[in-house]
Amino acid sequence: MNTPFQANPNNRIRVLYGVIFVICIIIGLRLFYIQVIRHSYYEAQARESQLKRYEIPAERGTLFALDGDEKVPLVLNELRYNIVADPQIIIDKEETALRVADILKVSKDDIKKSLQSGSRYEILGKKQTKDVKEKIEKLMADGDIIGVFAERTVQRVYPQGTLAAQVLGFVDDESKGRYGIEESLNQDLSGTAGRVRALTDQNGIPLLANGENVQEDPIDGKDVTLTIDVAMQKQAENILQDGLKNANSNSGSVIIVNPNNGQIKALANYPSYNPAEFQKVEDTAIFTNPAVSSLLEPGSIMKTLTLAAGLDSGSVTKDQTYYDPSFWKIGDATVRNVEEDGGAAVRSMSDILRYSLNTGATWLIMQMGGGELNQKGREAWYDYLTNHYGLGKVTNIEQGYEEPGYIANPVEGYGLNIQYANSSFGQGILTTSLQMAMAVSAVVNGGTYYQPTLVAGKTDSDRIYAENKPKIVYNKTVSTEVSATLVDYMQVALNNNNLLKKFGRPGYIVGGKTGTAEIANPAGGYYEDRFNGTYVGFVGGDRPEYVIMVRVDEPKVSGYAGTTAAGPIFGSVVTMLIDNFSVQARNGQ
Amino acid sequence: MTYSSAASVNRQRFSSRGQNAVSFKTSSKRLGPVSNAIALLVMVCLIGLVYLTQVTKTNSFSYEINNLNKQQSQLKEEQKDLELTAARLRAVDSDRVAQAAQGLVSLAPSGTITE
Repeated sequence: MNTPFQANPNNRIRVLYGVIFVICIIIGLRLFYIQVIRHSYYEAQARESQLKRYEIPAERGTLFALDGDEKVPLVLNELRYNIVADPQIIIDKEETALRVADILKVSKDDIKKSLQSGSRYEILGKKQTKDVKEKIEKLMADGDIIGVFAERTVQRVYPQGTLAAQVLGFVDDESKGRYGIEESLNQDLSGTAGRVRALTDQNGIPLLANGENVQEDPIDGKDVTLTIDVAMQKQAENILQDGLKNANSNSGSVIIVNPNNGQIKALANYPSYNPAEFQKVEDTAIFTNPAVSSLLEPGSIMKTLTLAAGLDSGSVTKDQTYYDPSFWKIGDATVRNVEEDGGAAVRSMSDILRYSLNTGATWLIMQMGGGELNQKGREAWYDYLTNHYGLGKVTNIEQGYEEPGYIANPVEGYGLNIQYANSSFGQGILTTSLQMAMAVSAVVNGGTYYQPTLVAGKTDSDRIYAENKPKIVYNKTVSTEVSATLVDYMQVALNNNNLLKKFGRPGYIVGGKTGTAEIANPAGGYYEDRFNGTYVGFVGGDRPEYVIMVRVDEPKVSGYAGTTAAGPIFGSVVTMLIDNFSVQARNGQ
Repeated sequence: MTYSSAASVNRQRFSSRGQNAVSFKTSSKRLGPVSNAIALLVMVCLIGLVYLTQVTKTNSFSYEINNLNKQQSQLKEEQKDLELTAARLRAVDSDRVAQAAQGLVSLAPSGTITE
């Protein structure tokens, strides 16, 4: 017997309708849940997958140097490629390792080891050439390998090789400038990265039809032109290297500065390194620029500054003479002269430089104190050292890790009189080569202390080049008259030196002062057989055009290190400047 | 109202003195609600279509821009390569400069001019 349900086929249809209705209700509720209740969540998910955000790196600025008046690139950017892999999608690791190792010219086992790691990002080769990248891409395109890619990266290249390496510094793997100009001007050189936030297709190409797309172009780093003259720098490096070899010294530096605007024209150091291969350097101390970071007791070259201070302060006059007893007892210590010509005698002011009289320099400090070594004299000398000559503080040259040096406090401490007596002839005081070069520049240029600079100019935000103007730090280092007197005295000092007077040239003014500084023993006192040789001098026509500072560390030569090790380097630099860099001869000569 | 008066009123509605009373009825034909809905739907569809064509067209420019950007990048890369090559060739340490320097001859004065 048929039930009413079976008998009536419409009932089945009704049931079917009911089921469909219930399903529709369920789907509707689900849609309501997804589209209304969970609207924000899914909207965010959709946006996340469609909207791409990425950074457009700014290009680091180029570093130029000068070749005469022309600009030549010293540091450029070169596009390179990091070869990276996603090991999780590579099936045949053996074959992939073999192929990639063959292109990268590295061990297959190293590549295989990287591919067997569990990560999704392994760097197989850094900073590879375009040629390598194309070979990898061809393998990928041919289907020979999968999961290996080439990522763009930029590396700094140095067409001039190791030239001025410590002045330049380098850029590390995080694109951060390290040491030298690269560190000091990192912000200017780096620029500002751009950004893109856009709706993209599946290949990541931004689609225009989205009003919310944001694109900010990167602002490339500024191009910086250095004051360094490449030809002068190269020759200075060669002269330094030869000079150090002749003096049996392992290290030293040469600075050539234009005293009339503070521009550093050459800054040579030895030993140096190749900035393109900075990763291979074992001793990172070589990265710093010793001319601005390595402190030394400058020795007798300080006497030029002491004499200038004595004359400028009015404590002594240029025509004055005094009786030099050849030694001074200061407390328990005795200041003596080193030179053979330093016996007791009546001395003139120029004799203090001519015979490099330690007692003469000490006498000058005494005169600044009214006739004896006292606080007044110490304070007056300290004022000259710090506020006229810029010692004891950084010069703010565009270099990383500049050292300020050390000058004893003139009021507080023990043994101040002997410390200050020593400082008058360059012992017991710490300076950098650059500080001494700049102080002497100010003394011989008429009395203006210019901010030392390695930057001739930069491009601005519109990529227009703007020259840097010379910046005056102190405009009354010494008076014009004292400056002229010191120029004369330094010529006298050079001409009085039998070994160095040959470097004088008719028609040119060449002057300078030697320094042979004892080296402090960390255990106390000074080594008896270890010295640093220094020389500071100038060359020019009617006025000094270049000031040259030479430092030779612990030369192993007979005679005074300042004369026999640093002096010849100074002489070669003078010859080079006159012969190759058009130093103007005196009027009419 | 009597029939005659009603007819009279009717006539007065359509005529006035001096006019032929043909027909003065202003007929207003209006779309029905269904037609309105369909028309609206069609318009929305048309506007949607226009929007979609414009969006597609605009987006196609994205690919053109992308290609042009790629070309620009390639040209910049080539320019940088050339700059680098030029810089290397002009470097003071380069072989070319060294060879040129070796070719230089030292000139010494052969005599002096006397007046």
